[in-house]
Formats: sequence, C-alpha cells, structure tokens
Amino acid sequence: MIQILIVCSWGMSTSLLVDSMLAAAAERQYEISVEALSAGEYAAKVDECDVVLIAPQIRHLRKSIEKLATAEGKPVALIEPFHYATMNGQAVLDQVMRMLPGSAEGTITK
Amino acid sequence: MSGLIERSSDWFERYLVPPLSTLASSIYLQAVRDAFIIFTLPLIIAGSVFLIVANPPPIFGVDHLLAPYQNAILVPYELSFGLMALFLTFGVAYSLSQYLRTEPVQPGILAMVVFLVASVPVRDLNTLTFGEVLPYFGGQGLLVGIFIGILTAQVMHWFRGSRFTIKLPKTVPSNVKRAFEALVPTLLLLTMVWLIEWFVSSHTFVTATHTTQQMTLPILLMDLFKPLVVVQDSYPAALLEIILMMLLWSVGIHGMNVVTAIAAPFWFTTLAANAQGGHGIVTEPFFHIFAHLGGSGATWPLVIYMLCSRSAQLKTVGKVALGPAIFNINEPVTFGVPMMLNPIMMIPFVMVPVIIVTINYIAFSVGLVHVPIVIQPFTVPVGLSGFIASGGDLRGSLLQFFDLAVSAVLYYPFFKAWERILVAKEEAQEEKNRLAATQAEQRALRQDTAKAVGSRKEGP
Repeated sequence: MIQILIVCSWGMSTSLLVDSMLAAAAERQYEISVEALSAGEYAAKVDECDVVLIAPQIRHLRKSIEKLATAEGKPVALIEPFHYATMNGQAVLDQVMRMLPGSAEGTITK
Repeated sequence: MSGLIERSSDWFERYLVPPLSTLASSIYLQAVRDAFIIFTLPLIIAGSVFLIVANPPPIFGVDHLLAPYQNAILVPYELSFGLMALFLTFGVAYSLSQYLRTEPVQPGILAMVVFLVASVPVRDLNTLTFGEVLPYFGGQGLLVGIFIGILTAQVMHWFRGSRFTIKLPKTVPSNVKRAFEALVPTLLLLTMVWLIEWFVSSHTFVTATHTTQQMTLPILLMDLFKPLVVVQDSYPAALLEIILMMLLWSVGIHGMNVVTAIAAPFWFTTLAANAQGGHGIVTEPFFHIFAHLGGSGATWPLVIYMLCSRSAQLKTVGKVALGPAIFNINEPVTFGVPMMLNPIMMIPFVMVPVIIVTINYIAFSVGLVHVPIVIQPFTVPVGLSGFIASGGDLRGSLLQFFDLAVSAVLYYPFFKAWERILVAKEEAQEEKNRLAATQAEQRALRQDTAKAVGSRKEGP
C-alpha cells in the first residue's frame, strides 16, 4: 500500500486528479491511497504517508512543504503542470514510482 | 518568437513570483483562509438556503404564502450564518495551531470561549436578550474572531513550549496532563479579555434605532475598521483585488486563495449587511460568481475555442477542461494552455476579468441587477449561480451571459495568436518526425540492399 499526499488549495481540481490516479493504479493493480489536503492539514499528517506531491498552483509553498517532508524523510516533488492540467493519472503515478526509494516498477505491486 | 516567450517567462519567474509568493506563504493568512473555507463556508452556505426560502422571489404568490412564517424560517439561518464569527474563531485557532504543528482542538475550543467573553457585555446576564448580542457573533464579530483565534493559538503554542505550565509526574495519563497544561494559558486569556471587555462595556453607544446599548469589543473594533470596510467596498478596491488575483494566477499561484485570506473578513461583513438589506457590492460572490465565469479569468469561452482548435495540444486540453469548466474549475486551462507565464495569454487573462469586474460594478451600483446577498459553492454552474446569488433576480443570470460574451470577444485574437504559434511548433515537430522516419526508412532500405548484395556475393 502506497500512501500519497497531494498538497493543494481548495481540493476541488485535485480531486479530479486523485480519481484519475486511482483509476491508473487499479489498471496496474497497485494498491494506493491518495489524499488531497491543504498545507495546514498536511503539516499535521506528513508522518503518515509515503510520498508527498505538490499541486502546481501552490508551488510558492514548495520550500516549507519540502522542509517538513525532508525532516520526516519523505520523498517530495512538484507535479508537472501539464500533467496536472490534463489530469494525467498515469504520468503522475509514474512520477510517484520513480520517487519511491529502491522501487523499480512492479516491486510495490501487491 | 518562442525565444522571446521563454525570456519573458524567466523575467516573470525572477521578479514577479518572489514577492507574490512571500505574500501567499504567510501562515496567518493561510490559517484565516482555511478557517473561512473549511470551517465557516459550509455553515454559511447551508444557512443561506433558509435565507432564500424566507425571502422567495415573487413568483406564483409564494412570497405571500410564506410571509407569516418568515421569522420561523430564519431561525436556522440565524444560528448558522448568524453565528459565523464564533465558528470562524475556532477555525482560525485550529488551523493556525496546525501550521504551528501543535495539537489544534484545545486552542480552537479555548478561542471560542474567549471570543464569547469578548463579545458579551459584562453585566447581569439575566437582563440580556439573545437578539442584542446575536449580531456580534455574525458579521460584526469577524474581526474580533480572527484576532482572538490568532492570539489564542499563539499563546497556547508559546505556553506548550515554555516552562510556565503545571508539570505533572510521568505516570499521569497524557489526556489529563494536557488538560492541566492548558489551565495556565486558559486562565490568563480569560482574565485578560474579560477585564478588557468589562472596561469597554462600561461605556455605551446609541444604535441606529436610537436605543442606548452597552459598548462591546466587536462594536469597538468594527468602528475602528469601519473605514477599511467602506474602502474595501469600492471600485478601486475591487480593481486592485481582481488585478492581484489574476497576477498571482498568471504566475501559476492560486490568486483567489491568497486574496480571500486578506479580503474575506470585509467581504463577509458586507455580505452579512446585504442580507439585512444593505447595498454592498464587493463581496465573495462578486468575484466567485460574477467574475470567475468557468474559473478564474473567465475562461469558459476558451474551452470552446480549444475544442475546435487545429492544435493537438489545445484540443487535448479542451477535452479535459470541458467538464471542470461547467463547475467553474479551470486548472486544466491555466496549466494546460498554459495561461501562466505565457506573455501572450497573460494579457487577456488579467484584462478580461478587469473589464468584467468594471461592467458588473456599474451594473450593481446603478441597480441594473440586485446586489449579491446569497453565498453558494463556487461550483454552481454559470446562469443558475447568478440567479441564486442575487436573491432570485433573473437579471443576475443575464449579466453573467453578457460577461461571457465580452470574454469570448476579447480572448479571441489572443487565442488565435497563441494557436498559430502552437500549430507552427507542432507542424515543425511533425516535419522533424517525418524526416527522421524517412531517414530511418532509407537507412533500413540501404541495409537491406547491402545485405541482399552481400548475400548475392556469398552465393554460389
């Protein structure tokens, strides 16, 4: 089970991406959970996840988000804006897989 | 051309992004924004439903039918929308505690208690009517609520990290310990705010209906900030807010989000006054419902243009953007066209909303359309949302459609210019691919002939 946090603003548009990612994961038979939350909620929840993603519209918060994630030893990255725009769950999931330590595609599958 | 675009993007990234980012990153602004969006908005929206029912549009005589029950229907409204400052106080303290990375519920509850002490005049409470203090818990109390929310979270955070708490042995359960730890800051805050309120409420003021009432902190703070509330509800302020919003979005930062954090207390104060018959214009629906048609930047028409576009990129984005656009979500447009850091599209991205806000301000101020009184989720589709926001005025919907037409006309030339660039780029890429393909084909052909020649040589 891979737990992914997406830090965003209102959670409205990100929920579309979350659906797309879950569909992509189901296709590949990965077990993931994705949660979209605000920067404040993120601060309280960072220790409960495997990967942290940052939605492009709050990239101005990138530094503080990265600092927290690094302190907790979690990999963190900004979602590619064009992938976000086209709600490309496959591409974002690929990104997540690349971020996980020592996980070639497939080793995390259940 | 594309070199110029890249260079100006770099310039924006270097000079425009940092100051805007600093503003948007303040944890106090973020906490206030979260408090409004997460804790207060659902109650305000639910309460507004009862406000609409209590003041129905005069169709089929429904208004006459419901008139005798108006006060009864308004009770749920008064106890949700009407108490928004109380819940906002909790939200601010809770959210700020989260940003400060400390347990949030206790500061939230303490902040509500401190807020009550700050809002109720100090006297024999048996002589106090609920109606007298109710306004302080709603629109008039927002500033007090924000102030007390921040104060409480900060004080609790400071005490939790300091030596000035009651220390208990390690064997005491952590819940019990936490309750005792909170005792010192709770007593301190309660006493301090109570003494200030006591002093303030030893003075009196005369209300609009010529009755004399005890002064309270909410009234005092409202008087102090009255100039700001008035100034905020003006055309220059609306202009400043929309420009700031769109500049932020132009560099890819959630503009509505940042401006909400600063302006929301004023928007909601004005809106609460509108619900009581006021005529304020610059409120939350003024932007979310009447300006951001199809998302920030009024990008609805762009989605249609993209669906018919010759550019593969724009067509792809258009398909993804159509569904969200119906619900006024346009991240696909902003990051996919893209609008952000795009010197061509940034011009109308800022200009179109500015012109729409100007048209709307005029329409509201001369009374062409009823001012916004109802708040609703920003996801309500264009057309319906204008009708609801103006309290059941069909001209609200008409204004939205007129604005959309303006947006369609203004975006068109810029869209075409950007499309030409993308199509040229895509064609060049295609040409390159075709060239590479033919080259590969030729190479394969040559190898085949070479092999054929070779095999012939090796033949018998």
